Amino acid sequence: MNIENTQSQMRKGVLEYCILSIIKRGEAYPGDIIDEMRSAGMQLLEGTLYPLLNRLKNSEILTYRWVESTSGPPRKYFRLTDKGVQFHSLLESTWNELSTGVETVVRNMNEESETIYHNI
Amino acid sequence: MKKVININFQGQVIAIEETAYETLKQYIESLTHFFAREEGGDEIVNDIECRIAELFGNRLKHGINCITDEDVEAIISSIGRPKDFDAEYDEEMGDGVHGSPLLADPASANPNQGGERSGDARQSLYRNAGDRIIGGVCSGLAHYFKTDPVWLRMIFVLFFGLLFWVYIVLWIVLKPKVLKTNVSKRLYRNPSDRFIGGVCGGIAAYFRIDSWIPRLLFLLPLLVNLIGMISFFPLNFLFRDVDFSWNINMGVVVVYIVFWIIIPEAKTVKQKLEMMGEEEYIRSIRDKFSDNVASAKNRAENEQPPVVKKSYQAADTGSNHASVTDPTSMPPVPPSMQKHEEEGASVSQSGSSTFTSSDSYSASTGSSYSASSGNGSERSGCLNGLVMLLKIVFFSFVGILALMAVGVFIAFLFAGAQMMPLKSLFIDPGQETTLLFTSLLLLIGVPILSIIIWIVRRVMKAKSRPVIGVISTILWFGGLVVAGILTAQIADKFSEESTLEQTVELTPVTARSLYVDMLPYNDDYSEFRIGWGVGSDIDHLPYTNVDEDSLLFRDIHLHIRNSNDSLFHVRTIAASSCRELRGAKADLEEFRFEIHQQDSVLYLPEFLTVPVEQGFRNQSITVEISVPAGRTVEVSDVLNNYRNQEPPSVVRKRIRNYTRTYMTIEPALIEEEEKETGSEVV
Repeated sequence: MNIENTQSQMRKGVLEYCILSIIKRGEAYPGDIIDEMRSAGMQLLEGTLYPLLNRLKNSEILTYRWVESTSGPPRKYFRLTDKGVQFHSLLESTWNELSTGVETVVRNMNEESETIYHNI
Repeated sequence: MKKVININFQGQVIAIEETAYETLKQYIESLTHFFAREEGGDEIVNDIECRIAELFGNRLKHGINCITDEDVEAIISSIGRPKDFDAEYDEEMGDGVHGSPLLADPASANPNQGGERSGDARQSLYRNAGDRIIGGVCSGLAHYFKTDPVWLRMIFVLFFGLLFWVYIVLWIVLKPKVLKTNVSKRLYRNPSDRFIGGVCGGIAAYFRIDSWIPRLLFLLPLLVNLIGMISFFPLNFLFRDVDFSWNINMGVVVVYIVFWIIIPEAKTVKQKLEMMGEEEYIRSIRDKFSDNVASAKNRAENEQPPVVKKSYQAADTGSNHASVTDPTSMPPVPPSMQKHEEEGASVSQSGSSTFTSSDSYSASTGSSYSASSGNGSERSGCLNGLVMLLKIVFFSFVGILALMAVGVFIAFLFAGAQMMPLKSLFIDPGQETTLLFTSLLLLIGVPILSIIIWIVRRVMKAKSRPVIGVISTILWFGGLVVAGILTAQIADKFSEESTLEQTVELTPVTARSLYVDMLPYNDDYSEFRIGWGVGSDIDHLPYTNVDEDSLLFRDIHLHIRNSNDSLFHVRTIAASSCRELRGAKADLEEFRFEIHQQDSVLYLPEFLTVPVEQGFRNQSITVEISVPAGRTVEVSDVLNNYRNQEPPSVVRKRIRNYTRTYMTIEPALIEEEEKETGSEVV
């Protein structure tokens, strides 16, 4: 049980949700997604993003179109399919449940430890 | 001082330092390896290349002249090395993108895990998109059996006629996938030892023999013939009939060409390694190396000293060619692999500079991969073969059946088109016609369409969509139901039978015999015929002709029996079926069958004529002639020559009643008794 593994597992779970959320706002190409994730303080490797996008595309959650770019080769702009929108809303509800749940649990624990502290 | 080269990368010309280029090349190769197992792996790598090209473009825009080592390193660390995203990646992938063992760090690549995975990958059969000549079927099968694709290709070439369909079926059925080779030794064409295509060189390398042996074997027939022709020149006349030499020569050439096609060329170091077997290859490198580097010669011939040390020496004594593969910058690898790797690296520097460092990279990958694949869980080969055989047999059967089904459908289609003129006989315009076309469309069109769609999707490699199958099945069954309804409706038209008896008034016949003859139908009519051998025996059909306004039926029967007085009597019994009795009776009223009498000759019309609106309702007419005692009926040959063996059931029932009533039949009449006639046959 090493810490890195646990961390990466935690990140991995929310990665798809984050990416889909970014794409849901409007068409995005991988460079945008990387920049946005990094500016939000979440490390994301291109080498992780591209396969993930590919798999989401293969399972028809995403679709893309080519857009000519002034700086370099044409870019793939991704957007959500109808299925993708559904998928995202499911993830969203799960995330909401999860985050409130986690928060509650963590807060309870903190309060508990505080009360214990007070009792002492 | 560094050399800068221009490369064309994703359609852009990019100036890059040569060492940076090597690093980049190596990096992309490692990505290719890593994603090879995943569906759309090429696409991912291509996307990443695009991204790199874009980043390069950005950098070059900022006034920098060329891409340096640092740039490449920065980009690589931004994108991540395979080992960085290995951990998170590995678990997500269902079918185990464990990459090559080289990429996995020692902690995660414990042998059991690797063994299980390669076992999984082996159990399913794919077409190998990465190694193919036509469709990758043989290569995929070889991967399944863990053998060299060349052998399967040979089998398929030898039994071409037998296995052609199997190949086509497998091509259609199997999914393409880039498979990594799982045999350590393969037959390749040897590019470094060749006269024509390197086939003999490859065979020699495979069997570890000198290359002149296979060459001689190939040339032997030619040589023998040549020598024979020259030295036995006068004897040629004796063996003039024996002309096998040309066949053998052609055979050799054909075999060589077939080998040339089915045996791939060993291009990369990895493939060369597989061609010779690992140790052999290393030995050959060692020989080469020992030739080039005089100082290392003594040690190279000595097998025992530690290999690692030696290769370091090789690197030192090699040319000044910039070392790209710094052993310390490589991902951590198990010691056993490191050995090969540095062997490879030493080649790239000391040997002929054709071997790049990336090749050595892949060489070590190949060798270590093949080593680990040996751990794969073995299913018994016999069982495997049996299952495989069953599958092949099954798929061939399915394929043949499918083809037959399509053929039958097409035949039906043609037959249907041929029968279309008859449609009006059975099927009323309006609702029934609609039903007919609907059912035909659904029953024939839907399967053909779905087969076409399936094949097209297969060829286009689109994902199969079960919805299509479900919909077409439902539609087809819908068609079946419609056809059933239609059949029931048509059958219903024949549910009620009715007959009508009419006595034909005769002027008394004075002659001893009554002659019966046929009155030919004089108007033009179109004989209905069916071509292409489908029901071409028109005469067995009860109806003859579909006219403009009337239908002509030849279902005419002649029945002769005893009269109960001294006169000839003629009666007609018309029969017809309909949905209800009233309809049948109304139809009977419309029959036209006029019998003319001229003295002692009775003329029967050639056809029974009914209005075309009636359609076919099993209409028939029986002419019953009662013959008084002592007189005869002479029936014309034209009428004798009937084909309608069986009278329609209704009439027969009636006739039976009559015959039962009249038992006193004169012997002379008996032979004419059963003569019932249709009409003359053209």
